[in-house]
Amino acid sequence: MKRIFAVALGVLTAIGGFVDIGDLVTNAVVGSRFGLSLAWVVIVGVVGICLFANMSGRVGAVSGRATFEIIRERLGPRVGLANLGASFFINLMTLTAEIGGIALALQLITGVDPALFGPLAAFAVWVIVWRAKFSQLENAVGILGLSLIVFVVAVFLLGPDWGDLARQAVMPTVPASEQPATYWYYAIALFGAAMTPYEVFFFSSGAIEEGWKRKDLGQERLNVFVGFPLGGVLSIAIAASAAIVLLPQAIAVTSLSQVVLPVVQAGGTIAFCFLVVGMLAAFFGAALETTLSSGYTIAQYFGWSWGKFRRPAQAARFHVVMIVGLVLAVGILATGVDPILITEYSVVFSAVALPLTYLPILIVANDPDYMGADVNGRLANALGLVYLVIILVASLAAIPLMIITGAGA
Amino acid sequence: MTKSPTVRAGRLIDANLHLLDRQVLDPENMPVATVDDVELDDVLWNTPLPPGTPAPVVTALLSGPVLATRIFGGRPPESRWHRIAWTHVVEIGTAIRIGINANELDVSWVERWLRDHVIRRIPGGSHDPE
Repeated sequence: MKRIFAVALGVLTAIGGFVDIGDLVTNAVVGSRFGLSLAWVVIVGVVGICLFANMSGRVGAVSGRATFEIIRERLGPRVGLANLGASFFINLMTLTAEIGGIALALQLITGVDPALFGPLAAFAVWVIVWRAKFSQLENAVGILGLSLIVFVVAVFLLGPDWGDLARQAVMPTVPASEQPATYWYYAIALFGAAMTPYEVFFFSSGAIEEGWKRKDLGQERLNVFVGFPLGGVLSIAIAASAAIVLLPQAIAVTSLSQVVLPVVQAGGTIAFCFLVVGMLAAFFGAALETTLSSGYTIAQYFGWSWGKFRRPAQAARFHVVMIVGLVLAVGILATGVDPILITEYSVVFSAVALPLTYLPILIVANDPDYMGADVNGRLANALGLVYLVIILVASLAAIPLMIITGAGA
Repeated sequence: MTKSPTVRAGRLIDANLHLLDRQVLDPENMPVATVDDVELDDVLWNTPLPPGTPAPVVTALLSGPVLATRIFGGRPPESRWHRIAWTHVVEIGTAIRIGINANELDVSWVERWLRDHVIRRIPGGSHDPE
């Protein structure tokens, strides 16, 4: 039983982090326009996040140093500050999107204007961050988030042409109705959604919050290699459900109600209830993670005291940063901007910022001063280098493709 | 507090590699600051050193506003420097440990100010998470 709960950190980052509003919306948009022809990107992204989350968790557990301390120590204060600015900005966009997502999900069941739910959701996030223990929040949100499995169930209930789906996934082609540039733009968006840097900040800081040591590495591996692939399966199921229902009718996803549509068509009210619970848990979990990540990144860059394992009074600046982050997010939502739109941009900007986060992790994971005997093996380094190339290409191509395609229009 | 062998006299340290941008921890493992710069004794600023000058000695770790000038250039007035005297340093590893409590240092005044004026005034701010 203890073991089951222990995997919860991985499950939380998988559900609340891997499948957050970014993955949900991006996969639904992609499914409704490209079918499963981009499913391979999700697999590439899952392998990448497993590789680097495992590395950063290992660095955290062995050396006791969190990711952003290392980013600054290795890249220097200047590049570190640029990275901090970019990471905080993307993190804030993601936090805004998650809180907006909670409000939109509540609107689906109550019909009440989401503008009213935004501040309420942000306040709930703050209360949890202020008062609740790390392990409690991860267990509760992780287990509730599992009800997103309803997407997998929906795919089976819809009774698709499996041969056709498999063909789309295995032999990807750009659909006749789309430009190749748009195809690659969404490939980068999906990749950014899968590899969002805040997952790594949260995961490495989480390892320190939980007081992980070298002996917990087996556990840490289990979390990564169970949690993230589970998130990947859900992502592909989301794309598949949209491909089955929305693609033939040429419905492009622009709102949360269209994301929900295939599940409702497959399973009716019961499926809808599971889906809303799952979405609320996933968005809420991701809102907690991004709130904490905004505190983690800034506190670690400047060397302030941080962590939920301390009383708020022992990490004052950390808590002030998180409060400011939540207030900013509510302020952005109050302008009436569409959270779905913020989500779509945030995943692409995530892709742009990836190299500055992942390069220092790879360097320090090879540093015996930090890691002792637990430095990277050859396989991890070979894969790490391959992924650095992919990440760099995605990062450089993201903005030009955004301009050429008019942000995927 | 006994010093670790990592700070024995005569150990060769690359200030850039082993000091700058490392986390400083106090005896209770509380993060204090990141080393933003170091203060050296007896070095005239902006003057070329004649060959054969003995190596300067690090007298203090600096943190605070000095970070801004390190990134953007310039030099803050000495009165604005927040120092952690080198004598407090007890260990140099992947983090730098000092033998004095964070609360006794000027470096952490912002933390104390926010703690006393903001965080402690919000209900639950002084309690362990439940």
